Amino acid sequence: MAEPKSMEVTTAVTGTAAETGDLVRVENLRKHFPVQTGFLASILNRGHIPAVKAVDGVSFTIRRGEVFGLAGESGSGKSTVGRLVLRLLEPTDGRVIFDGIDLSSLEPEEMRRLRSRMQVVFQDPLASLNPRMTVGQTIEHPAKIHMTDLSAAERRGRVMGILSAVGMNPPESFYDLYPHQISGGQRQRIVLARALITRPELIVADEPIAMADVSVRALLLDLMMKLKEEFDLTYLFITHDLATAKYVCDRIAVMYLGKMCEIGPLKEVYELPAHPYTRALLEAVPVPDPRHRRNEAMPAGEIPNAINPPSGCRFHPRCPIARENCSVDEPLLRELRPEHYVACHYAEELLK
Amino acid sequence: MTEIKEHPPEIPAEDTSWEAEIQRVGFIRRILMARRWYGADWWFVSISAVMVVAFIVVALFPGLFAPYSPDALVGPRFLAPGQHPEIPVLIVPKDSSINTLKDMAAPEGQPRPSIAVVQGVPTAGALNEQAQSIDNQTKNEPEGLRLRPRIERFTSLEETLQAVIDGTVQAAVVQSTEFDRVSAQFPTLRAGASITGETATAGGFILGTNDIGQDVLSRLLWGTRVAIIIGFSASIVALVLGVPLGLLAGFIGGSFDRLLSLVMDSLYAFPGLILAIAITAVLGPSILNVIVAISVLYIPTYYRIVRGQTLSVKEEIYVEAAQSIGARSLEILRLYIFPNVIPSVAIIFSVNVADAILTGAGLSFLGLGLPPTIADWGIDLARGQRFIQTAWWMITFPGLAIMLIVLAFSMMGEGLTEIFNPKLRER
Amino acid sequence: MPEDILYSVRNLTVEYQTRAGAVRAVDDVSLDIRRGEILGLVGESGCGKSTLGKALMRLHTGPASITGGELWFDGRDLMKLPLNEMPDVRGAEIGMVFQDPMTSLNPIQRILDHLTETIHTHEPETSDAAARIRAEELAERLGIRRERLSEYPHQMSGGMRQRVMISLALALRTKLLIADEPTTSLDVIVEAKFLDLLQELQKEFGLTILLITHNIGVVAEVADRVAVMYAAKMAEVGDVNDVFGDSKHPYTQGLLKSVPNIRLGENELYKMEGAPPSLLHPPSGCRFHPRCPFVMDVCHTQEPAFEPVVGDHLASCLLYQKAGVKQESLNG
Repeated sequence: MAEPKSMEVTTAVTGTAAETGDLVRVENLRKHFPVQTGFLASILNRGHIPAVKAVDGVSFTIRRGEVFGLAGESGSGKSTVGRLVLRLLEPTDGRVIFDGIDLSSLEPEEMRRLRSRMQVVFQDPLASLNPRMTVGQTIEHPAKIHMTDLSAAERRGRVMGILSAVGMNPPESFYDLYPHQISGGQRQRIVLARALITRPELIVADEPIAMADVSVRALLLDLMMKLKEEFDLTYLFITHDLATAKYVCDRIAVMYLGKMCEIGPLKEVYELPAHPYTRALLEAVPVPDPRHRRNEAMPAGEIPNAINPPSGCRFHPRCPIARENCSVDEPLLRELRPEHYVACHYAEELLK
Repeated sequence: MTEIKEHPPEIPAEDTSWEAEIQRVGFIRRILMARRWYGADWWFVSISAVMVVAFIVVALFPGLFAPYSPDALVGPRFLAPGQHPEIPVLIVPKDSSINTLKDMAAPEGQPRPSIAVVQGVPTAGALNEQAQSIDNQTKNEPEGLRLRPRIERFTSLEETLQAVIDGTVQAAVVQSTEFDRVSAQFPTLRAGASITGETATAGGFILGTNDIGQDVLSRLLWGTRVAIIIGFSASIVALVLGVPLGLLAGFIGGSFDRLLSLVMDSLYAFPGLILAIAITAVLGPSILNVIVAISVLYIPTYYRIVRGQTLSVKEEIYVEAAQSIGARSLEILRLYIFPNVIPSVAIIFSVNVADAILTGAGLSFLGLGLPPTIADWGIDLARGQRFIQTAWWMITFPGLAIMLIVLAFSMMGEGLTEIFNPKLRER
Repeated sequence: MPEDILYSVRNLTVEYQTRAGAVRAVDDVSLDIRRGEILGLVGESGCGKSTLGKALMRLHTGPASITGGELWFDGRDLMKLPLNEMPDVRGAEIGMVFQDPMTSLNPIQRILDHLTETIHTHEPETSDAAARIRAEELAERLGIRRERLSEYPHQMSGGMRQRVMISLALALRTKLLIADEPTTSLDVIVEAKFLDLLQELQKEFGLTILLITHNIGVVAEVADRVAVMYAAKMAEVGDVNDVFGDSKHPYTQGLLKSVPNIRLGENELYKMEGAPPSLLHPPSGCRFHPRCPFVMDVCHTQEPAFEPVVGDHLASCLLYQKAGVKQESLNG
């Protein structure tokens, strides 16, 4: 029976909050988006509505103070997980536990207040900023909502402080500007400033540097790491760029088509990937060195759609080491080596 | 809090976008600089803005511009534009004490005065009319004077005037323009007052008079007030009602949205003028009812546009970001959605005013809506319809006015759209 | 023009008319593309590489236009060709693949029709049956199964659509394929397979490919030679091993250091100071001088020439151009 086994595994992977000092614990998270079908079609299907299974049973923990990388290609569900952790989306199933608090148990007002402790940085800085609000107003807004004991002058002072902290100096010169009046890299700094003003504990960064120029990316990453030290932050770092993830993450998790493939310490996963998909992903990353060109073949086929994912292990149609049972039994996350979890029946083979 | 010292802050690449440049100069310079940026669109907007302002100024102070009151019967009927009105004046010898017709009234029993007129010219009729009305007036007065002149007809103007000189008659009544023409030949004669009391404006009536003697120009200028009031009021009311409904429907969604949209779509699908006719027919003629009828017509327009914009703005990342920082729904609506939706409304407002004015004119053209006492272009159009062959100016000038005002507002709205929606702008 | 050079761009200048004045997106750039090679053209956004790519097919319209230079393609100067003859060259001899295939394909036309229409446009005497057979063979070669040819673009994935774009470009024995950021919108595994495909095309069809991208890694994986652009000018050109292993231009050096390398164990990324300059008011002298760690006084006033430093390895940097003062390699 799959069910009890998965519960065991979950507890093993995640542990209890008291034991491990986790900031975030995700248990069996599922998010299915129903596909729009016509009235007639839904009758014909007898009430069964097809759904995009964006996240389909994902469990992991994020420890305080770490940079937890969540990697995957399009359709992996990583961005959806990010939004579920922040409860910007309601899960179809499963729980998100933040600092011991089950998010689904909260009243809307309580959830709203909790938001001061967890913030988000999205991919597109221009789209993340209200074009009709100045830089100052944008950053000040969370403070207005959550830090009600501050006077207007004190709030303004905090905003100036944060602007300074993200490298926008002198802060006064930026306060009254609008997003379209500053450059792309600066905008992402403003987004960071807005995220930081309420002194959150967790920041979910969804592809935070993907849209920045190559020369600006390093600056932004550097800034984020410095801020992590200064503000004592924990990051959920969502990215498709494994090369960049290597520079910042402490642990990394790899997702494929709504499922978790592998979780482990960064160095170990990069040097000894246990899941065939992780292996392929790492091989595929272009290396800026012509002496080390890729000579391994890539998995056949493409990412299937998430409405009707392959049975058993989702990666089996493309997997170079797939066996017969891979299309029948879904592999669950298991601890292959200390702290290194993988969802593959034959991971040991890969490590030889 | 340590500063990040090792890496200097990002030097912002000199923002050469024209938006940034414009921020650096003052407002007036901004408008003039804009000519370089927008090219033809700038001219479009500027010319139409001037026209719109002109119309509004006229609407606010029609008395300053109109030579006459719109209701006053100030001239002869059907006077063509620029045509001098024919005013019959009393011609008397220079030394005569007589000035007006009334001066010629005499007590009962006295011999009747004789007045010369040119044969075949309708002045005799006017003379008779005036004499009779003065007679009726004076005979009831204490002195009991009577005025029953004897009218002598002469074949030509010169003979008529000669008769005054000869003393055959006490006075003559001829057209003032005619007298002016020959006055040099008759230095001993002078013109008295007009027998009808009318006065001539220099150059006559610029746009002519209508079928009952009202000045077309004055009615045109006073009509601007009505048009602007109806256009703006109806648009404002529609905006005030349509925008919040659209915002709420787009934001809340669900069955509230579906129900409201159903109502609005039904209203929208209804042919506009017919709906307005129905409403005014029910409510009765008054300017307020016209405003109500037209605004009902345009509420769905604002609703639809705002709802559509709200739906798309709702999906923007910055709205999601607002949710993530813990803002309440009303706050999100007020600070994040509304300001981003409103620019589209501002632009269609102008075109909407044009449309409303047109609808209003249409209503009064059909005789609905406004009471006939108010000077209005639509009513003038209807009146002028009958006389399109004989007095073309009665319908042409109100028609031109409607066309111009609709053009002005539409042009301004379209020009503003081009400027504020760069995606639509041709590169 | 030597036999082995397919396309020789000489002193090309492309100007954009903007509201703030004329901007030179490409400023006096010269570049040779050799037959059968994959040439990688790299640079940050705004450096002019995409503009250069489009200029090679004289695709610019409206506010952008080529204001100087020669385009010697396969023995003839395309600049001398009347504009209405360019469509015969485009598609038939030079093909282009863009970043977002979805917007390049007609959403209401089946894939097969895309292909046959292209064939018919350039070779109208081909029969329907012949065109269809050619299309199917081509698609098969590019990994598109026959059954999928009757689908519409939206039914295919991004990687597939890129293959369709290439097949369109190849339908007519193209000599040069210009790929402008072809993999930017693709996932990394699909990207890897696409790059494999490009190399196959190079081997099997003898296709010459100009690969325009901001992704240095992609260029390192497949290119034979590399051209680096900065602020509308050519900074460096050479064999891929030379440009990566022994880069001459300080910009290239900085760029290479700031790109994350998944194989390396380093924990720090190099950060380049400053930002690319505005093309409306570019810096005087060498355009890179405000950010250059090796800047000299002369760099403020004199523009460096684009000259060979060592053999076929060219760079526009005054460090190598002072008479009698030859600097050692600065890669250390």
